[in-house]
Amino acid sequence: MNSPEDNGGIRTGCPKVKPTALTHVCGVRSGNRPENYARERGHEPDGRSTASRSTGINPEARNPILPEMPNLSPA
Amino acid sequence: MEKIKVGNGDLVQKNWDPISRIIGNLGVYTKIDFANRQVAECKLTSSMFRGYSVFLRGKDPRDAHFITSRICGICGDNHATCSVYAQNMAYGVKPPPLAEWMVNLGEAAEFMFDHTLFQDNLVFVDFCEQMVRETNPALLDKAEHTHAPNAEIHGFRTIADIMRAFNPFEGSMYKEALQMGRLTREMCCLMEGRHVHPSTLYPGGVGTVASPQLFSDYQVRLLNLLDFVKKAVPLNDDLFNFFYEALPGYEEVGRRRIQLACWGAFNDPAVADYRYATMKEWGRAMFVTPGIVLDGKLVTNDLIDINLGMRILLGSSFYDDWAGEETLVSHDPRGNPVDQRHPWNQTTLPRPQKRDFDGGNYSWVMSPRWQVPCGELLAMETGGGPLARLWSTALAGLVNTPYVQATGASVRIQLPKSASLPETEFEWKIPPWCNTIERDRARIYFVAYSAAMALHFLEQAMEEIRAGNTRTFSDFTVPQEALGVGFHEAVRGVLSHHLVIREGKIANYHPYPPTCWNASPTDSSGLQGPMEEAVKNTPIFEENGQDSFKGIDIMRTVRSFDPCLPCGVHMYLGGGKVIEESHIPSLGLGGRVRKD
Repeated sequence: MNSPEDNGGIRTGCPKVKPTALTHVCGVRSGNRPENYARERGHEPDGRSTASRSTGINPEARNPILPEMPNLSPA
Repeated sequence: MEKIKVGNGDLVQKNWDPISRIIGNLGVYTKIDFANRQVAECKLTSSMFRGYSVFLRGKDPRDAHFITSRICGICGDNHATCSVYAQNMAYGVKPPPLAEWMVNLGEAAEFMFDHTLFQDNLVFVDFCEQMVRETNPALLDKAEHTHAPNAEIHGFRTIADIMRAFNPFEGSMYKEALQMGRLTREMCCLMEGRHVHPSTLYPGGVGTVASPQLFSDYQVRLLNLLDFVKKAVPLNDDLFNFFYEALPGYEEVGRRRIQLACWGAFNDPAVADYRYATMKEWGRAMFVTPGIVLDGKLVTNDLIDINLGMRILLGSSFYDDWAGEETLVSHDPRGNPVDQRHPWNQTTLPRPQKRDFDGGNYSWVMSPRWQVPCGELLAMETGGGPLARLWSTALAGLVNTPYVQATGASVRIQLPKSASLPETEFEWKIPPWCNTIERDRARIYFVAYSAAMALHFLEQAMEEIRAGNTRTFSDFTVPQEALGVGFHEAVRGVLSHHLVIREGKIANYHPYPPTCWNASPTDSSGLQGPMEEAVKNTPIFEENGQDSFKGIDIMRTVRSFDPCLPCGVHMYLGGGKVIEESHIPSLGLGGRVRKD
């Protein structure tokens, strides 16, 4: 148990985790990392998107079957 | 309620602790002069310590919005949004326009949800037939014979019929408001993933998939809500106007000097770039204009001025002073000096102690104040949120959208045709007073305001989709050192999050929600908090004598501020005995449950 002086006079129990625990796990890619958006399938450089965005599994198969058909994004 | 004779018997002490039908833990301690029928003294106390500013230090700043959302069980998404705004500034990232419209839509839904729930299911219990029968039977008699001027719109013939419609659990408006609460929560979930702790709001944008179906689902619900809003606004007007007419002098209940603060809401993606240097411009472009309103005049709507004028005082709070602690931010990014009592420099040093109402400390709430450039400290209030938002927006006259226009003296709101009611226009006019009734009246007008704004945001979002701009997220990196501030409106008023990053971690984080301002205790300069001041000198209109006194006028005043003491669960188990300690397993790890 921490001494009350350490916590502004409040009696507390033993800390069970470090204050920075679970903030980021090494090896897991951060969603915010630069170029992440461009790396993902279906994202066009100009901010538009295509049907490939709808899935990460075999995304090419989601494209229209004819070239004259619009390549619609799920969003 | 506790009753103690004080002094020579002229004043009677009446205490309510905790107050029901609000969020969190609030105690009101008053001394009432029954001979002159008014409140003589009032002190407000909160017995909760949360410590978010303490345990956020050292954490990854990217977690801040998920953690601070848990401050509140009803407006957590306001906290998440505000934290995202502060992080956007710190990381130097601007979300794509579609993401901004989606955040605005989610927040508009939150305003509609929370205001409807609080107004119709909690506040109106103080104005319903059952309550008025117990506190003011003569007033109820009069209500039975008073025709409701807008009866042809809302369908209630007399004022007493309106009061009956708000009887808890059985009144028709009470039950309909619950249905509307469900609808609006669904709208918030559509945009933000969950309500009230959003799962798809991030700095840099949103994770919601912006499909046309998403916006259609939102629109269907919004149009269903419009019929309710079109009935509710005239119904509220009828009831509140009746109180003014039937009880002459009722405008003095909860009245105080006009000192209203609004930090603005709904960013415009065409202007908002989240840079501190341009905060004045994008703050003024918000679809709810920020502002400090003093004695009915607009002092400033520059968010940089608003930021630099913030002061966190002690005086009656259970904390040690941080005057000698480290100054983390001596100057803002524009080179302006930052005070040691500013949230960027605050160090929270809790000092639990016994409550002492006689010149000592009596609350866990600090005393945030706003300092005008000439030096005067002001105990700003939010007017429960909507009053300050509408007042500040009206005076600035900057908002001009197809459905909402600020005129300089009023706010005009147009709602299109809906299932059963035709196109309708409402106009909220700046009232002569800042009092209990006007705080409550503004709330329902702001539901209409949010609905009208949501229609505009929907159209803008669909424009983006039709143009093929489906991007909802911008990449960013977390800098080693940075400053951020988010200004937003929680449902019940001003909300700011101040963030300092050092070595890529949070070095300081201070959320300042509205009830910190409203329910603040007397500060070191002797200024009373807004709610204390509003209750003090409130005349008593209740017909009950001392023995059966309910304090309805005091309760109406306190609830008009929509108090939301950052909520927490308190369980007193007696003698410190632990009944059960349990750990929930995750990722296949074995949990343990121990029972003593």
